[in-house]
Amino acid sequence: MKEQRSQSNRFSSGNNRMVSLEKIVFGITRILTYTILFCACFIFWDIISKGSRKLFTDDGFINWSFLYQSPQTLHVIEHNGEISKLSSDEYFKFKEELSDSAWDELNTRDEFTKVQKRLKANLVAATEVTSNELQKSLLTSFIQDEQTEATEKFNYWMELLENASSHAPDFQVSSEDIPYLVGRFILSFLDQTKLKYSLLETELSFFQALHYPKIDHLSSQSIQKIKLAYFNLLEEHLHKIWEAYIAEKKNLKENINDFLQSPSSTSFSTLESQIIAYMENPLLLKESSANLWEAITADLQWIGSEHRIEVPSKDYAYSGGGIFPAIAGTILLVGGAMLIALVLGVCCAIFLSEYGKSGKFLSLVRLSILNLAGVPSIIFGLFGMGLFVIFLDWNVSIIAGWFTLAFMVLPIVITASEESLRSIPKGFRESSLALGSTKWTMIRTSVLPYAMPGILTSAILGVARVAGETAPIMFTAAFAMRSELPWEGLEHWTDFFFQGVMALPYHIYVISKIPQNEYTVDMQYGTALVFLILVFLLASLSFIIRSRLRRKFNW
Amino acid sequence: MIKEKKAFTYPVAIDVKDLSFSYGKTEVLSSISLQILQNQVTSFIGPSGCGKSTLLRCFNRMNELIEHAKITQGSVLINELDIYEKSIDPIELRKRIGMVFQNSNPFPKTIYQNVAYGLKIQGLKNKRKIDEIVEDSLQKAALWDEVKDRLNENAYELSGGQQQRLCIARTLAVQPEIILMDEPCSSLDPVATARVEELIFNLKQEYTIVIVTHNMQQAGRISDLTAFFYLGKLIEFDETKKIFINPKMQQTEDYISGKFG
Repeated sequence: MKEQRSQSNRFSSGNNRMVSLEKIVFGITRILTYTILFCACFIFWDIISKGSRKLFTDDGFINWSFLYQSPQTLHVIEHNGEISKLSSDEYFKFKEELSDSAWDELNTRDEFTKVQKRLKANLVAATEVTSNELQKSLLTSFIQDEQTEATEKFNYWMELLENASSHAPDFQVSSEDIPYLVGRFILSFLDQTKLKYSLLETELSFFQALHYPKIDHLSSQSIQKIKLAYFNLLEEHLHKIWEAYIAEKKNLKENINDFLQSPSSTSFSTLESQIIAYMENPLLLKESSANLWEAITADLQWIGSEHRIEVPSKDYAYSGGGIFPAIAGTILLVGGAMLIALVLGVCCAIFLSEYGKSGKFLSLVRLSILNLAGVPSIIFGLFGMGLFVIFLDWNVSIIAGWFTLAFMVLPIVITASEESLRSIPKGFRESSLALGSTKWTMIRTSVLPYAMPGILTSAILGVARVAGETAPIMFTAAFAMRSELPWEGLEHWTDFFFQGVMALPYHIYVISKIPQNEYTVDMQYGTALVFLILVFLLASLSFIIRSRLRRKFNW
Repeated sequence: MIKEKKAFTYPVAIDVKDLSFSYGKTEVLSSISLQILQNQVTSFIGPSGCGKSTLLRCFNRMNELIEHAKITQGSVLINELDIYEKSIDPIELRKRIGMVFQNSNPFPKTIYQNVAYGLKIQGLKNKRKIDEIVEDSLQKAALWDEVKDRLNENAYELSGGQQQRLCIARTLAVQPEIILMDEPCSSLDPVATARVEELIFNLKQEYTIVIVTHNMQQAGRISDLTAFFYLGKLIEFDETKKIFINPKMQQTEDYISGKFG
C-alpha cells in the first residue's frame, strides 16, 4: 500500500520521520496546555466551592456578618441536645442569659434567702473598718511578725556560715561551698517575699541588685550588713502594703453595697471576682475577722454552683466572626501603596524617558531598577522594617506598609510607564514644541494624557502584586488580630497613618499557622475567596478606566 | 496672470550665514549661506540625507532637542536677530516660526481642541477670542467649510489631507510669521496634495514659507525659489524657473533630470 502511494504521489505523507516528530510535538504541547488549564480550573473550583461555604449562608444568601464583623473565637456548644456555633460575643451573651434565668429561679428558694442573708452579714462584719488605734497595733504586730520571721532565717544562715564545716555534710557539699549555698537561700527568700508582696516588687528587686555582690561572696560580716539593710527596708516600706490593703478593703465595702442593693447574677459575678482577689492579700490573716472569710468563701461557692450553669464549649481561635478589618486594611494598603508608587514611578519614568540624557548614569539607574524587580519580597519586608519601622520609628503602621509595598512595585510601575511614555509618537512632542510649549507643558499636555492607559496597565499589574504579598507587610504593617477598624478611636488625624492594620493575605497566613480543624479551613477558604474577588474588583476598576481612556485617546 | 515681481527684490526674512551643523562628529551641513525672502515660497530639494530637513529645523531651533546636535559655525538671522544668541528664548521663537511635519499628527483630541492647543498653552483664556481665532485659522487653512459642523469630533475622524490641513490651521492659530513645512505632502494622495498646494499658494500672501520636498514637480509648481542640497552642501539656490530650466551646476541638472536621487 505504502509503496504504491509513494510511487503514485511524490508528495504523499505518513512515512516520514519528520511528520511523526511533528505529531509528537503537537501532542505534547497540547497535553501540557490542557494540563495547565485543568490545574487552573481545579484551583479556582476548589477555592470557590470551599470558600462559598463561608461566604454564603445555607439558604444561598450572602453571609453579610462574615463581611462586616471582626474575627472572633468560635465556640461550638451543645445545649439541650442542640449543637450551635457561636462567636465569642454571642457565646458570652448566651451564658449570661442562662445565669440570669437560673438566678431568678434561685430567688424563689428559701435556702437561698437564708444563705444570702448570712453572706451579707458576714461580709459587712469582715469588712468593717477598725479603729485607728487598733489599726496601728495591727501594723506594728505585722511588721514585728515579718521581722521575727526574717530574724529566724538570718540567724540560721549566720549559724550555717560560722559552722560551715559541721553543716556541710547535711547539704552534701564541701565546707567551701556553704557561703555560695547560703547566698542562693537569701536570693530565693527575697524572690518569695516578692511574690508575697507584689507591691514591693520594685524595691525588692533593687535591693537584690544592690546587695548581689555581697550575697554572691558571703562572709559573716556581710550577712550582718544585709540583715540590717533588709530590716530597714521592711520598716520603710511595709506600711505601704498596709495602706494599700486598707484602701482595698474600703473599695470592697462599696462593692458589697452595690451587690446588696441590687443582687443579680452579674453583680454577684463582679463581687465574687473582687473577693477572690482581695483574699489573696497576705495581711488578711492578721485580722481578727480571718475566720469569717472561710464561711464567706463557702457561701460564695454554694451560690455560684447553684445558679451558674456551665456551658462546655470547644473553642476554635479565629474561626468565628468575619474579616472586615482585614478587608478594610487591604484596601487601605493597596490604595495608598499604589498612589505612592504611581507618583514616584511616573516621575521617575518621565525623567528617564524625557529628560535623562543617555549615558552611564542613566544605564546605572536602569540597571538598579531592573535589579530591584528581582529582589524577593521578604527582603523588601526586612528593608521596610529596618528603615521605616525601626530607623524612622514609624512602628508597625499603615504608612510603613505603604512605602514598603510602593518600593516593591516601583520597578513594575517605572518600566511599564516608561515603555508607555516612549510609545507616544514623536510627532505629538514635536508639534507641541513647535507650537511654542515648554518641555514640561509638552509632557503635561501631549505626552502624559496619552500615556495614561499604559501607566494604568502598570497599576493593574501593581495592584495584583501589592494586594497579594504577605512578606513585605508582616514586619511593617500587618497585625495578626485587631478588631478595631483603622478609622475608629483616633485621637488625632495623623494617628491614622501610624497604626497597624489587618490584611487579608496575612490573615490567611495567620489562620493557617494555628492548629487546624474544619472551622479554620472554612475560614481560610472563605477569606481566600473574598480576597480573590477583591483583587479582581480592584484590577477591573483600573481596567475599566484604562479602556475608557484608550477609547478617548485613540490615534 | 499678473506679472510677477522679481523674486530677489523681496525683503530678507531668514539670513543664513556660513552655517555648519553636526550630529556628534558627523557634519551634516557645511557652510551654508542663503537668504529666505518674505512672502515667498522657498523649497529645499535634494536626495535623502542631504541635510535639507536639518537646515529647516535650524530655523526654529528644533535641532536642540536632539542629543549631541550642535551648530559648529555660522549663524541664522531672523529679522536681523541672531536666533542662537543667549538672550533668545526658543519658546518665543517657535511661537513666531510655525512648523508642519511630514506625517500629519493632530493630537487625539477634538478638531477644536487641536486648533486651540497653541492658544491654550500660551495661557489664553478668553473663550470668545479663542473661538474667533479657531474659525479664522480653519478658514485660512481652507478647512472651515468642511469641519464647521463637527468641531467636537475627534481629529482622527478626518481624512489624511484634512488632517494635514488641520495641522496647518493649528500652526496658523499661534499667528507665526514664517511657516516651515517638512515634506507636508509625502503621505497624501494626489488630490489631497493638490489641495494643500493650493493652500500654500494662498498662504504666501501673508506668510513666508519654507518647504522641504522630495517631489520635484511640487517644488516646480509651488515655489518661487529653490535650493538644491547635496551631501550637506548647498549646490545651487536660485529662482525656481532658472533651477529647473537652466541649472548652472551639473549635479543639479543630474538630480532634476532623474539621474540620481
